[in-house]
Amino acid sequence: MSAAADHGVAPTTARRFTGLLGVVSLVVGWELAARALEGAFILAAPSDVAVWIVQNAGLLGRAFRVTLGNAAAGFVAGNLAAVMLAALALAWPRGERVIAGLALLIFCLPLVATGPILRVLYGPGPGPQITLAALAVYYTTFVPLLVGLRAAPSSWFDLVRSYGRGAMAELVHIRAAAALPYLFAGLQIAAPAAFLGAMVGEFTGAERGMGVLTIRATRALDVDAIWALATVAAAASMAVYAAVGVIARAVLTEPPPVILSPPPMPRTGGARGRAIVLTTAAVLGFALLLWWGAMELFDLNRFFAKRPDDVWAALVTAPDAAETRATLAQALRETSVYLLPGFAAGLALGTGMAVALTLLPAIGAGATAVAVALRSVPIVTTAPLVVLLLGRGAVGTIVLVAVMVFFPTFVACLHGLRQAPGQVIDVLDSYAAGPIARLWHVQLPAMLPAFFAAARMSVPASVLAVTVVEWLATGRGIGSLMALSASLSDYDMLWSSVVIVALLSVAGYAGVGAVERRVLSVYAAEQMTR
Amino acid sequence: MGADAEIPTSPGIVCRGVSKVFPGGVEVLRPLDVTLEGGQTTALVGPSGCGKSTLLRLIAGLEAPTAGEILIGGAPPSVILREAALAVAFQDPSLLPWRTVRGNIELALKLARKPPDPRKVDDLIRLVGLEGFADTRPAALSGGMRQRVAIARSMVTEPRLLLLDEPFGAVDELTRRQLAEDLPRIWEPRRTTTVLVTHSVSEAVMLSDRILVLSPRPAKIVEDIPVDLPRPRPAGIDSTPAFRAAVQEVSAGLARGMASTTPLAAQ
Repeated sequence: MSAAADHGVAPTTARRFTGLLGVVSLVVGWELAARALEGAFILAAPSDVAVWIVQNAGLLGRAFRVTLGNAAAGFVAGNLAAVMLAALALAWPRGERVIAGLALLIFCLPLVATGPILRVLYGPGPGPQITLAALAVYYTTFVPLLVGLRAAPSSWFDLVRSYGRGAMAELVHIRAAAALPYLFAGLQIAAPAAFLGAMVGEFTGAERGMGVLTIRATRALDVDAIWALATVAAAASMAVYAAVGVIARAVLTEPPPVILSPPPMPRTGGARGRAIVLTTAAVLGFALLLWWGAMELFDLNRFFAKRPDDVWAALVTAPDAAETRATLAQALRETSVYLLPGFAAGLALGTGMAVALTLLPAIGAGATAVAVALRSVPIVTTAPLVVLLLGRGAVGTIVLVAVMVFFPTFVACLHGLRQAPGQVIDVLDSYAAGPIARLWHVQLPAMLPAFFAAARMSVPASVLAVTVVEWLATGRGIGSLMALSASLSDYDMLWSSVVIVALLSVAGYAGVGAVERRVLSVYAAEQMTR
Repeated sequence: MGADAEIPTSPGIVCRGVSKVFPGGVEVLRPLDVTLEGGQTTALVGPSGCGKSTLLRLIAGLEAPTAGEILIGGAPPSVILREAALAVAFQDPSLLPWRTVRGNIELALKLARKPPDPRKVDDLIRLVGLEGFADTRPAALSGGMRQRVAIARSMVTEPRLLLLDEPFGAVDELTRRQLAEDLPRIWEPRRTTTVLVTHSVSEAVMLSDRILVLSPRPAKIVEDIPVDLPRPRPAGIDSTPAFRAAVQEVSAGLARGMASTTPLAAQ
């Protein structure tokens, strides 16, 4: 038996069979549902999808190759950037919080707005698609890599130091190998994210690619095409996710970690408060410097390449600043009506489903395999389907946001519930405690770190989902405002939207982090003092 | 040993006024003055948490003392670290999970910039009773087996100073006795200076030439007991009256140490 199999990395035949059974059931159920709803113009059957794919194989193949090429280029660029950022944070530990904060801020930039801006900056060509693909992947690789580079007990470093060796030997013999599972976990999530980024980039005015076909099909209400494109995008994402998984299993001696979120800031009291204020100030300062510096360095036209002072003027000092602020506030209010319920519903459903499957372990194993696989589906690329199924109103948008939050929450919570210490469960079992008592006293507290990690990372994901749906379908909210501003060349409004959405996303992330610190200081005190 | 090495083959250790206070004001070591003879094995015994391992880490140069100085062969610990002439078997075996038993032992040779020596690695694997497990990863080993790998790793570079922090803590009694008989056969001919931290009085007597008894934290040396037993220690020595007398003397010293707050130097 291989070492990988020793550690349970390789899926067992039973799990493969369960997964296959799940896929077959899904296809059969889909076909039956489509037949039942025939004529409703919302659901294409798998057979219709297959026919469309065969009939349009040439067109689809060309578009697929373009998108795959853009995604691959973005994947490489984004992951290289992640490795360089992590290396910088490692070499400059005091700057780690600032680097991580800047990385988060850039990750929170709304792709819906950065897409059109990049289109203007780059002009025609694949530049925006590749950049958006890179932006979509770098953070999900950077975060686990940063954690992984430090994921070694201090005694391993003592060992290296006891032979008189320094930081380079630590990196070669300890950190690089310890970080490898985390790197693969990041790459696995990054692969479908790159596909998503490339498609969103193509939504914003590319000439070729799957995103372009999706926009055309959505406008023409070509149900078969929309379903076929979403199916191909999902299948491609799942394939690259699985391919990275196969490579990981061949290389690693232990499975990649499930939680892809940085730990909360491990300080307490006044020191933590001061650190947060200083870090926030430094992040904002560096962000402004980078923004202004990049614009000046490339000598970009101020008409479309707004500087920080332009946005300040648009929001504060210009004669129409009050009107701009009111428009933004109204759009944000509309968005929050979709975003907050969707976010809460996704968290509740993800947690509830994980708890239910823990109580029913017989179906839990198979469901976990399916959920982990579905995590690879770029949900946003299926937005047109949700709109088709549920309409352009609030329900469709809320459902899409909830689905976006559901999968990472479900997978993380299921993982967290399994982290319950076996010895403590043994103690409860020795008192003949039932599954509910076990869940309440041991498993739910053990799940909390994973739950909060998923909740934090779901903030930017849900913002992406809501803005894409607003842009593609509902015509309301901040996503629609950004799309409208781009098409009207109202760059003051567009850049103002970018700044406000990014800051609100970071604030939401920090808000979840604050609740997390408070809760975990009671339920996972060891993690908080690490 | 290279011709230009600064550290002698059997370096003595001098601690002058060495104290350690951790951040937050936890005083672990009171100012401590002691000289450990080169080529000898010295055991540090004392109650849990008294600072034995901290003293070992200070000697290894992994921690800096708050005050005082430590000299190894007349030079600060950084010199023996630089020459890779030191080896530590930590309380936690600290094996890298992605390396096999052989790979973990070979890592020490790599870190010490010494050439690969498969025969020596195999000999050590056999000595610690792990033949047949050379290509096994740590996850598949018991706690005691992992600790034996760590001991083999500490021996493979033929260090001039060997620091052992409760090396047999997780090893079963039979293996522990066997190792206590076998391992000195490696370091004694080379006259390796060895410092051993242990909770086992009989192990301290079996392995060492001198036993220092430390008080509860903040640690002071409260007893300094020479072990006058023949070298090499023959099999079955632990059932001799002389051995038992030594064990009794150290046990009594430990009991006095637990009650005493007066350091030896002041007596």
